Amino acid sequence: MMEREPIIQLKDLKKKIGRKTIIHGISLDLYPGEVFGFLGPNGAGKTTTIRMMVGLMKISAGEVLINGHSVQDNFEKAISYVGGIIENPEMYKYLSGRDNLIHYARMIPNIKKEKIDEIVKLVGLEKRIHEKVKTYSLGMRQRLGLAQALLHSPSILILDEPTNGLDPAGIREIRTYIRRIAREENITVFVSSHLLSEMQLMCDRIGIIHHGKLISVEDVTTMKEDNLDISVHFDVTPSQKALDIVKEVQPDTQPSIKENWLTVQLKKDEIANLNKVLVDQGIDVSGIYAEQKTLEEKFLEVTGGDSHV
Amino acid sequence: MFNILRLVQNENLKIYKRMSTWIMISLLILSVVIGGIATKFLMNPNDGNPETNWKEELQVRNEQLQMDIEQIENAVGAGSATKPLEEEVLINNYRIENDIAPVESETLWGFMISAPNFTTFASLFAIVIGAGIVASEFSTGTIKLLLIRPVNRYKILLSKYLATLLFAFLLVLLIFITAFIVGSIMYGFQGIDLPYLVYTEGQFVEKNMLNHIITLFGLNSVNLIMMVTFAFMISTVFRSSSLAIGLSLFLMFTGQQIVMLLSQYDWVKYILFANTDLTQYFSGSPVVEGMTLTFSVTILAVYFLFFNVASWVIFQKRDVAA
Repeated sequence: MMEREPIIQLKDLKKKIGRKTIIHGISLDLYPGEVFGFLGPNGAGKTTTIRMMVGLMKISAGEVLINGHSVQDNFEKAISYVGGIIENPEMYKYLSGRDNLIHYARMIPNIKKEKIDEIVKLVGLEKRIHEKVKTYSLGMRQRLGLAQALLHSPSILILDEPTNGLDPAGIREIRTYIRRIAREENITVFVSSHLLSEMQLMCDRIGIIHHGKLISVEDVTTMKEDNLDISVHFDVTPSQKALDIVKEVQPDTQPSIKENWLTVQLKKDEIANLNKVLVDQGIDVSGIYAEQKTLEEKFLEVTGGDSHV
Repeated sequence: MFNILRLVQNENLKIYKRMSTWIMISLLILSVVIGGIATKFLMNPNDGNPETNWKEELQVRNEQLQMDIEQIENAVGAGSATKPLEEEVLINNYRIENDIAPVESETLWGFMISAPNFTTFASLFAIVIGAGIVASEFSTGTIKLLLIRPVNRYKILLSKYLATLLFAFLLVLLIFITAFIVGSIMYGFQGIDLPYLVYTEGQFVEKNMLNHIITLFGLNSVNLIMMVTFAFMISTVFRSSSLAIGLSLFLMFTGQQIVMLLSQYDWVKYILFANTDLTQYFSGSPVVEGMTLTFSVTILAVYFLFFNVASWVIFQKRDVAA
């Protein structure tokens, strides 16, 4: 993936409102065809970052390049590669679905009527497209939102909380759809959410944002629970000697001691090995108890868990 | 340029697909029709034959005017206050000598001369549209999807302003057409060849009546344009259509009175509303002595630029957060 040219680059992106810094320098490269999840609790700065990426908010420092064009200096060019839904797709309710699409199509050069029909069919709205948007269900509005975002065949789709308020069937529909267009049309999808479980099913990579900082970016494949460290508790005597041994042989396991319990962070296949070392050194191991964390717990741990997720 | 036209087309779509727009248009047409019926059947000052005795009437009117002039001269001395009255006397004499009848209010032209007063309604409705055209995009959240298109913000703002002005002109045009239709149905085309008489620099000029009426509509539209531009600015700066409507209507209906109240001060001439009524330079006297048409046009241009620059700067810089 790394040898390809990035299609979106965030370079030390910062946002200040008044004297308060909201986004503390985010740098990130996104590549064609990948689905990138932007994960963080509410108020972490997801929406602010996205709004700077699409030019709705001014950038305080740093820059956003889309296909090499700066969003700030060359807005019309940069944004022409982007389709987006920012929060709920708010359309003109007193217009029909089709009038809404015609409206957006007029803002882009060279969009033919056939293209509109094609998109309408793609999102499955052809039966209701002549009705006013105020008669649509939320799911239909979300599909119309996708239609307006895809109208000009963008290379990037930016979706801010696209599944907010949708029922499970609607969420699944959006998810399937996002995966499909990323794969079939090589569109880069940048999607934000505060739900880890949802992100895992949809994304190739996930970046976690917290308090305006991007604190980790990981491939979803390496985020499997099997690969996570397990907290392993050994019931040992003498405990102090056991701690010294572990500190010597495996210092990166964050060993700690509490009464008789020695706690270390290990991979699953390392447990038996460490036990053998301890026994060989003459330590009494009278119990081993492993505690596996879920991804959700890890996410809460990283983000401090100070907000409901 | 092509781009801007398509954006204006979009704004028109959003204006004319709304029920409320058509209600306003219907109300406007209805008010002109009712106005026409009211002048014909409710107001009937001279029940005699207006065609035969207009010369006598003018003579009576002239005597009255002469008395007024003398009274004013005794009170404040000769000056700008008596000038329009003196001109009226001269024009009336010219009419009697040359057998040119004045325009009666119960004729097509008479009705159409009063029709520009209906532009107040046009202002009202155009303010409603101008006040909502930016603010409503913010209040409904549609601004987000509107601004993430490959179109710079100033073009979007310009298209909205142009669409508002187009709507305002459409309303004025509708008043003109409706007034013409209503007037010709009720009064016929009698006296249609009457000229419009002007007295300038000691000369009497006979002008085309239709041109005169169009000029009246044009002069009345000045206030309309300024108020719509003002409403548009408030709408853009504060993103609140109710504030924009409230403030604009309040100023539109009280502006002239405020100027009258303050007319003893010289600085009042810099207030917008002292300059919006350009008819003061064609008939009547200016609010503050020494004001000229050029002065007013300059002041209007300054306000106009200020309103538009304020809208433009704020819209361009705004962070769309909500």
